[in-house]
Amino acid sequence: MSPKHHPPEEILIDYATGALDLHARLVVAGHVGVCPLCRRDVDVLNAVGGTLVAELPPVALADDALPRALARIERPQPAQAARLKPPGDWIRVPEPVLAAAERHRRWAAPGVWVAPVTGRPGRARSYLLGIAAGMKVPRHTHRGTEFVCVLKGAYVDQDQRHAPGDFALNDDSVVHQPTITGDSECVCLISATNRLVPRDWVGALFQPFVGI
Amino acid sequence: MSESGLATGSESRSDARRLRNVAARALIATANPPRSTGADLSALIVRVAENHDRLAFTALFEHFAPRVKSYLLRLGAPPEAAEELAQEALLTVWRRAPSYDPNKAAASTWIFTIARNLRIDLARRESRPALTPDATEVADAPEQPDQSVCVAQDEILIAEAIRRLPADQAQVVKLAFFADKAHSEIADELGLPLGTVKSRLRLAMGRLRTALTGITA
Ligand SMILES: [Zn+2]
Repeated sequence: MSPKHHPPEEILIDYATGALDLHARLVVAGHVGVCPLCRRDVDVLNAVGGTLVAELPPVALADDALPRALARIERPQPAQAARLKPPGDWIRVPEPVLAAAERHRRWAAPGVWVAPVTGRPGRARSYLLGIAAGMKVPRHTHRGTEFVCVLKGAYVDQDQRHAPGDFALNDDSVVHQPTITGDSECVCLISATNRLVPRDWVGALFQPFVGI
Repeated sequence: MSESGLATGSESRSDARRLRNVAARALIATANPPRSTGADLSALIVRVAENHDRLAFTALFEHFAPRVKSYLLRLGAPPEAAEELAQEALLTVWRRAPSYDPNKAAASTWIFTIARNLRIDLARRESRPALTPDATEVADAPEQPDQSVCVAQDEILIAEAIRRLPADQAQVVKLAFFADKAHSEIADELGLPLGTVKSRLRLAMGRLRTALTGITA
């Protein structure tokens, strides 16, 4: 089923031009990977970018640029790392997200795990958040802007159901209390404009709720 | 041309120069008539994929590397970095040519996405191992062909769609692709409210979508 909640067009434009930072980019990529509508818009924008670049006045390269390139294509390719297999019940996500899920998954509170994806150690700018079925995220707001893409399961937020592939943009104007719905855990990929220590943040968020 | 005997062995500089001349002539020959330039560039990528065709690669390099460098300079890359990234972009073209589908993307579209992704990766490379150029994307789902909407890949049609944009919309689109600026900075530079920049981008998006997909949603 196609996602129902999409990023605004200007975020797709930032995605296509490359203006979006890497962290947010991964989240948008998750949505675009399963959304035919946004995929179409990104295809349109990529075609526009390609044509604009093709129309730029060429700038001469160094004299030895072509011989260098021809020498380089002769060299054996670096061995490709084996592609990680995504969990069968997730939507497809970019490779770094899978790597993070395998290596960096930690419990933040009972029923709640996080895995930093990008950012400096201890200062994630994007992370995976897994929350067990039936749990309610304590009421909270956001510093800065956060992008969310559901990878698995579903949550309900302000009467809207967010299922796999759905995109959400939350900022300090949003005070909410999402509830995991359905009978599986819900896994989301989240990016934030402020630097986060998600495990601490998530742990603190759930602390009064689970009594740890 | 792939039987020319140049496909194997190491190349000295003079060989490379000879190759370049041959390839340049080949490109000029195939680029005629001008209407089919885009299709011919696509065909060159397919030849690289199928035959490891070094002449085809040379022609692609001659055509695209100076434009990719131009693009990166415009985005503010220092000249050495722009040169190096143009090299890497074309090297990536060689390596990933088998994944190129001429029915899905014009040559210029595909190479633009490679260059853009390399640039995004550059920022990250200092502290982390390099990603593959598509590491921040999710490949097309082959299992859902019926869901994909056909986007016109004829470069002449795309160029025409861009040319038909009202000047104020074309301006913000070009700034978005080339100035490496957030919308708020574009707004500052143009002395416009942020909302105006966003609405111009959205209007442009709508026109381009209609022009390239026929969809008026
Ligand atoms: Zn969408």
